[in-house]
Amino acid sequence: MTFLSDIRDYPWTSLLTGLLPARIVNLLPARFQTRAAQIVPSASIAGNALTVVIAIMSFLACLTAGAVYMVNQSANAWVNDIASEITVELDPINTADIEKKMTLVSLFLAKQQGITRVKPLTADDSAKLLEPWLGQTSALAALPIPRLIAVEIDRSNPPDIQLIKTALTQNFEGVTLDDHRRWQAEIKTVTRTAALGGLVVLSLVAAATIAVIVSATRSAMASNREIIEVLHFVGAKERFISREFERHFLGLGVRAGLMGALAAALAFLLLPLMMHMLGGGVVTEAETSRLIGSGELDVWGYLLCLLVALAVAGICMITSRLGVIRVLKSYA
Amino acid sequence: MIRFDNVGLRYGSGPEILRDVTFHVLPGSFHFLTGPSGAGKTTLLRLLFMSLRPSRGLIFVFGENVTNLSASGRSALRRRIGIVFQDFRLLDHLTTWENVALPLRVMGKRESDYKEDVTDLLRWVGLGDRINAYPEILSGGEKQRAAIARAVIGRPELLLADEPTGNVDPAIGNRLLRLFVELNRLGTSVIIATHDYGLMEQLDAPRLVLFDGHLQMR
Repeated sequence: MTFLSDIRDYPWTSLLTGLLPARIVNLLPARFQTRAAQIVPSASIAGNALTVVIAIMSFLACLTAGAVYMVNQSANAWVNDIASEITVELDPINTADIEKKMTLVSLFLAKQQGITRVKPLTADDSAKLLEPWLGQTSALAALPIPRLIAVEIDRSNPPDIQLIKTALTQNFEGVTLDDHRRWQAEIKTVTRTAALGGLVVLSLVAAATIAVIVSATRSAMASNREIIEVLHFVGAKERFISREFERHFLGLGVRAGLMGALAAALAFLLLPLMMHMLGGGVVTEAETSRLIGSGELDVWGYLLCLLVALAVAGICMITSRLGVIRVLKSYA
Repeated sequence: MIRFDNVGLRYGSGPEILRDVTFHVLPGSFHFLTGPSGAGKTTLLRLLFMSLRPSRGLIFVFGENVTNLSASGRSALRRRIGIVFQDFRLLDHLTTWENVALPLRVMGKRESDYKEDVTDLLRWVGLGDRINAYPEILSGGEKQRAAIARAVIGRPELLLADEPTGNVDPAIGNRLLRLFVELNRLGTSVIIATHDYGLMEQLDAPRLVLFDGHLQMR
């Protein structure tokens, strides 16, 4: 409840004016121009260097959060895609008429319950799938490339995959069914690893931010020791004194956090262009786009960046508050 | 209101600055605290204001034993006390008006509620034309008056003043004494630490005399 009342009582108008240059503030309506002077002068709290450091922390945190979100979105789309399909693979070796066998297997599959579409891939289609890795070469025609049949399944009424698998093995030689489960599991592992890595990076950024703010708070209190003493003499409680400091750090955190988030948003906006320019060849481009999709962040991704920036501001405020109260207790 | 029972104070392992100090201050009383320089007047005021803890003995302020009082409890009691320091302790980045209004701001009062009171008090202490001036351009006497105005603006129940007339001319000194007397009439207990005998002669008030660490009431 104390936290809620702090938010309610916070001089938000002074924060707004703190974000704007003085000449613009002078043009604002009177209610936005705070008359009460700052008890702890902002010049004694933090210089531009601290703002830049926190902005860089926010940038790194937003970049990490956005990248993890992007990988997660891309993986989800991929999993959804492959979960609604199964692939039947026909081994061309020891098969006299592969085209006839493709037709027979396709017809067999089309009769099964829970299958909505059967699409046999031509030899050219199969070759194209290998192109990113092997290149455009006529040698592909000479290779015994397995032939594929893409089978779309009805996810609301899925077929008995095991039953189809058994039936295919019994009726056709050299035919296997891949239900993509192994791929799904691998994608999920990659996504989880990326999320865990992102969490570790975010934790490190948060720890670094806390360390910087703790140091800055101590330094600010040392340089404002006389003001703290006077505040004590006029009956100020610890909470009042800590609020005087934390409002500066919250303002700093909001400014620096937004700067970092804006820089990260710009980086995400330019990412598709960068991917295109620095693609590094067909294979790399194919692998990168498989991992992070088109490289575009959606609205929720940008909102996540904003949330991260606000979290950075919150860390600045709470850390400075705890730091001030701790130092005040040591004075007592 | 204030009670000292056998209070002793020493800094670290040094000799006792104050020894077996015992006295009472009743509500609405007026005392001078005097003694030669270095006798411990400022130290006694700091004990009264809870910015020092006694080495031994008990101190009661407004009926509360302050020896083991929490920070929050000390703040609450300090709001009932006004103090004028010998070195003024004005904040250089605040104007005279803002310095004087500080105790009210700390109490959480709205500026619109005390704006006129602060201005009136500053006029009364002769700083009407220095309202927007910063301490660094005020003379010693002006700083002294601003510090006194800050101490009394919250209508404290107890006023402690350390050499309040040390930096002002006799006319202003008399005016400030009248302010203290007026506050005392309104119910504020006043303790003025001074070695200005001229000031003490003007008022028939009991004197707490510190000498060689001991306190005597005269």
